Amino acid sequence: MRISYFKPGSLEEISELKVQEGSHLFSGGTDLFVKMRYGVFKPKMLIDTKGVRDDPKFDGEKLIIPMNTTYSELLDMGEVMKDFPLLEDAMKEVGSPQIRNRGTPVGNVCNASPAGDFLLTATVMDADVVIAPKMRKMKLKEFVKGPGIVDLKNGEFLYSIEIPRWQGYEHYFEKVGRRNAMNISIASIALLIRFNGDVVEDVKIGFGSVGPRIVMYEDLEERMKGMKLNESLVDEISREYMRRIEPITDLRATKRYRKILVRNLLLKAFHLLKGVV
Amino acid sequence: MKMGLKINGEFKEFDVDPSTTLLDLLREAGYMSVRRACDTGTCGVCTVLMDGKPVLSCAILALSADGHEITTVEGLKDDEDFQRLLDLFLSEGVDQCGYCNPGFLITAYAMKRELKNPTDEEIKMYLVGNLCRCSGYVGQMRALKKYLGVEE
Repeated sequence: MRISYFKPGSLEEISELKVQEGSHLFSGGTDLFVKMRYGVFKPKMLIDTKGVRDDPKFDGEKLIIPMNTTYSELLDMGEVMKDFPLLEDAMKEVGSPQIRNRGTPVGNVCNASPAGDFLLTATVMDADVVIAPKMRKMKLKEFVKGPGIVDLKNGEFLYSIEIPRWQGYEHYFEKVGRRNAMNISIASIALLIRFNGDVVEDVKIGFGSVGPRIVMYEDLEERMKGMKLNESLVDEISREYMRRIEPITDLRATKRYRKILVRNLLLKAFHLLKGVV
Repeated sequence: MKMGLKINGEFKEFDVDPSTTLLDLLREAGYMSVRRACDTGTCGVCTVLMDGKPVLSCAILALSADGHEITTVEGLKDDEDFQRLLDLFLSEGVDQCGYCNPGFLITAYAMKRELKNPTDEEIKMYLVGNLCRCSGYVGQMRALKKYLGVEE
């Protein structure tokens, strides 16, 4: 079947085309063309968003990542990345240089894969998303509804992601895969934590690849606040994450393996951050 | 649809079907150093430089490369630094079947321009998207450390 290709020059034109049946937006295409080659996705119309170009910027409080900004462009922002070390760590592990030169954070979020490294990190960092053409703003964690499912109405598309800076926080990121960075992870963790001495003042913990969406438990984060981070707290909390998380068994790992991995990733994070356990 | 590319310094025009990838276009136009293997963005043999940066030509729609500059191994044959890289691959006995070679060479050439004094680990991380199924990467690492000037 013949596919049609458009590269509109304005947000309005993208929106008008997107209303049509069988249309699909893309920027780098690193994920899309693989799916098309495997025959699992058959769009009728491809809309190349690269006709609209805005630069990423840091306004002193948040990093604004518009569509078509690649991982490489963000990593090349140098000084700015020093204020976003968790994001930098995660983006350095996305794919390969070839993928980072084409792939985009906006694309990763729209794919809404629970294995997305950027999606995990941006969710933990409590990012907002801005939806064109009316520039409707909402929380990223509400925007992503499930695997591959995002809250976009007809003619709407993701314009940008806004990530707040987490000053004074320590961080940890790790993904576990079968071979290396090119593989889809078995489980991944992103963590932000602020201490006052040994006492936890604030903490955000997210896991990827262990559920239909990024997994975060607000009540467990609350439970840690004001507590001294010691062996018994880490043991209790990591067991509770392991108990609650309900991953699936797939070709990469079994459910049981993933549950144990979740606990071990937490133990490792706290060991490396604070020497606990 | 009509489009244009600057390939190895030469401007060329093409008329392509929208589903054509950059890899299809380059091979049909005779740039045979650009290889096809996995065709799904995993193995790295189709790596070319797009505006100086390594990309996977199998995962790029030809039309979305319209107006950009593409460099393949053919375009680097008179480049002294690239010739040195080739000589090192030969003298270090890197290749067995050689199929992954053009992708490796292009990625290594880009790495030299991006990383300053990389560690072994950083070299390996940069090559994570280039697979070699014969060699085990020992020869590549030997040649690359000489090329990058980081041998101990």
